[in-house]
Amino acid sequence: MTAPSIAKTDSHGRYAGAPSLLGRVLQNRYTGALVSLLLVAAFLALTQPVFLTWPNLMNIVKSNTVVFVLALGATYVVIAGGIDLSVASATAASAMIFGLLLAAGLATPVAVAAAVLFGAFLGAINGFLISYLKISFFVVTLGALSMFQSFALIINDGVSVSVFSAPGFAPVNAFVNGNVGPVPVILIFNIVLLLVAGGVLRYTTFGRSLYAIGANMEAARLNGIDVKRVMFFVFVIAGLAAGLGSVVQVGRLTSASAEIDPTLLMTVLAAVLIGGTAFTGGEGGVFGTMIGVLFLGVIQNGLTLSGVSSFWQGMVSGGILIFAVWLGGMRQLLRRRRQSTGS
Amino acid sequence: MTGRSEPILRLTGISKTYPGVKALQNVDFVVRAGEVHALTGENGSGKSTLAKVMSGMIQPDAGQIFVDGREQTISSPAAAIALGIVIISQELTLAPPLTVAENIFLGRLPRNRFGLVDWPQLERDAEAALDRLGVHVSPRARVSDLSVELRQEIEIARALSSNARVLILDEATSSLSEAATARLLNLVRKERDAGMAVVMITHRMPEIYSAASVATVLRDGQFVATVALSETDEQKLVRLMVGREIQDFYGKRSIAAGETIIEIDKLATPQGILSPTTVSVRRGEILGVAGLVGSGKAEFGLALGGAISATGTVRVAGRQVELGDPRKSIRAGIGFVPDDRKASALLLVRSILENFSLAWLDRIGSRGGMLNLRGEQADVDAAIRTYRVATGSSSPAISTLSGGNQQKVILGRTFVRRPDVLVLSEPTRGIDVGAKSEIYRMLQDAAEAGAAVIVISSELPELLGIADRIAVFFEGSLEKIFDRASADEEAIAHVAVAGANRHHENSPHIGASA
Repeated sequence: MTAPSIAKTDSHGRYAGAPSLLGRVLQNRYTGALVSLLLVAAFLALTQPVFLTWPNLMNIVKSNTVVFVLALGATYVVIAGGIDLSVASATAASAMIFGLLLAAGLATPVAVAAAVLFGAFLGAINGFLISYLKISFFVVTLGALSMFQSFALIINDGVSVSVFSAPGFAPVNAFVNGNVGPVPVILIFNIVLLLVAGGVLRYTTFGRSLYAIGANMEAARLNGIDVKRVMFFVFVIAGLAAGLGSVVQVGRLTSASAEIDPTLLMTVLAAVLIGGTAFTGGEGGVFGTMIGVLFLGVIQNGLTLSGVSSFWQGMVSGGILIFAVWLGGMRQLLRRRRQSTGS
Repeated sequence: MTGRSEPILRLTGISKTYPGVKALQNVDFVVRAGEVHALTGENGSGKSTLAKVMSGMIQPDAGQIFVDGREQTISSPAAAIALGIVIISQELTLAPPLTVAENIFLGRLPRNRFGLVDWPQLERDAEAALDRLGVHVSPRARVSDLSVELRQEIEIARALSSNARVLILDEATSSLSEAATARLLNLVRKERDAGMAVVMITHRMPEIYSAASVATVLRDGQFVATVALSETDEQKLVRLMVGREIQDFYGKRSIAAGETIIEIDKLATPQGILSPTTVSVRRGEILGVAGLVGSGKAEFGLALGGAISATGTVRVAGRQVELGDPRKSIRAGIGFVPDDRKASALLLVRSILENFSLAWLDRIGSRGGMLNLRGEQADVDAAIRTYRVATGSSSPAISTLSGGNQQKVILGRTFVRRPDVLVLSEPTRGIDVGAKSEIYRMLQDAAEAGAAVIVISSELPELLGIADRIAVFFEGSLEKIFDRASADEEAIAHVAVAGANRHHENSPHIGASA
């Protein structure tokens, strides 16, 4: 046992989920990623004059929004102890639906709703197979990775759909590239999404259930949590995120393509991991994921600014991923060692 | 007062400090050949830390270790094994996909002259090692196909075949049935007579007294005493462990039983482990459930809790319970606590608060699924006080608590809902004497408040201490129910091992056995 005296005790007896911002930053698992982010940013600010300009920073936000949206969904899945390998494929499939509907002249809200719901539908397929047919999430989403990608190719014979001249594209463009004063709309969108995703995790029974299931699925089940239902909806949320992501992607590219950025899935999962959400489940949060996304985004931006060939970016971000997770593992090991006293 | 022989292992002035905790302070410990030495104390007393020092798993901050009179540094488990010190702990370290023989000689498989594994030799050696223990299992059997008890015996066979001279058993019996424990203790005595030094880490009194001759007691990381057990009775030993007298350990109260609240009729599991079982329990009554591992007693609890699918009917307060779904059992008023804390009760990485409120999500959540965090905090703070969980705050991870305090959280979150029926599987497994006594008090409080309490336990003394009736399972069926007045340990153990003798008078309590 460990004497209670070593336990990190908040003097108000508040629980770990709600202490002051400073306390949270100091004791949280993503502190490492945050410090690294600040160090890299400081280095870039000193060496690359362009880095700390508003347009460049907003460029980082814009070019990482798709990753961020998908990573929020992935964070939910990983907290619940699962993984969704199909998110990038689901994004491509939803993007094709969105592009075709826009190009066919549908009103923007209808096309957006259809794309988002289609993503959710793809997630629901995953969720159904995993929760109710009890097939391993790894197998299901690995299969879905291929199938959704295939679907994206089949639906328009592999041909990209340009939406630039579609009548419904203007609002999409305003959403992705527009500003409110100096502030890009997409930044506001990201912040709202972060608050909603974080709020659901902290303030709802659904969020609490995710942590419980990820920490110990059997304990959650025996204490009356409807594990099947929650897991089903977790994958629906991941699909919903893919649908939302597809809208942003199509808006940025001005076309819908069945081609999937081969690094997208890896980047999404890396951001979640770097952000301190453990793949063992039951721990983590979306604030960490935001740091993970920013970290990878800033590194990529720095490499571009420094004129490093984009061929090297995979080396760097892959290396950072392994290093960050190793660092997290070391921290956990130290913590566990401190706790494993007595009998 | 200890044996005359030279000490094999002598530790002096051992200290080990973790940040904020003095796990061991200046502890002395001497083990002699041909002696079974009990190392005992409450959880958190430092006995397992000392075992880790002896077996090279951790390094002490201060102190000396002498093996055969020569000072040694035991820098790793491999170094300990080279010195003949072998530890067997609760957690098994076998490789399940491999065979029994491969496991016994893992890392030191015999080679033939081509440098390849000498399979016939391996099999012969394994057979010899198993015979020495009297374990009847084929060396070719896959470990994954074997029971937990057999696995433990194979682990011991591995330890003994490595020329061990000091055998440390770290709570090795905690997952064993009484019969398997008895076999293990027999073995310990046999090895002792052959000159082995055995260190038994346990707080189970019957084991200490049946196998050990000397006991060393630790408390709060400090050496309390080394005593000869022939001169020290159980009461005195417990006093050394807890530092105070536990007045009435079980605190059995007489509670007037009320109306019948749960009626179980032909409850059975489809896989056939549990045969149709019929029994009823009244409000205020504590029904003990005894039986060996595999007797069906565990499945009886799981079925009532809705954790596994089952057939038959269960009625609580006259209303039928839908079986096979924990949510339905909870709603019907059955509070179930499973036996395996780590595997099926604790959210180890989450806070004490979240572990408490895991069972209350429907209460602290609003209609819209929003959590009332403030109300939750107040509820948890109250529960921490009510169930005397030793912690200053509800925010640390539950893994920082001792086993006893973890168990109080698990029981507390169930009790606080005031279910009509409590089904508790091994509620005091692996926790120390002081916490046990408090848990017995909790059970009686619940019974007094009108709950029917069903306690499933492998520890007969505990059932005899707190239960009003004891139902004994054997090979899947409820064989016999003893009344408190007529129950004695020997009679119950006999039924548990051999079943009820059908020629004897049938008590009206006997459950149907198909």
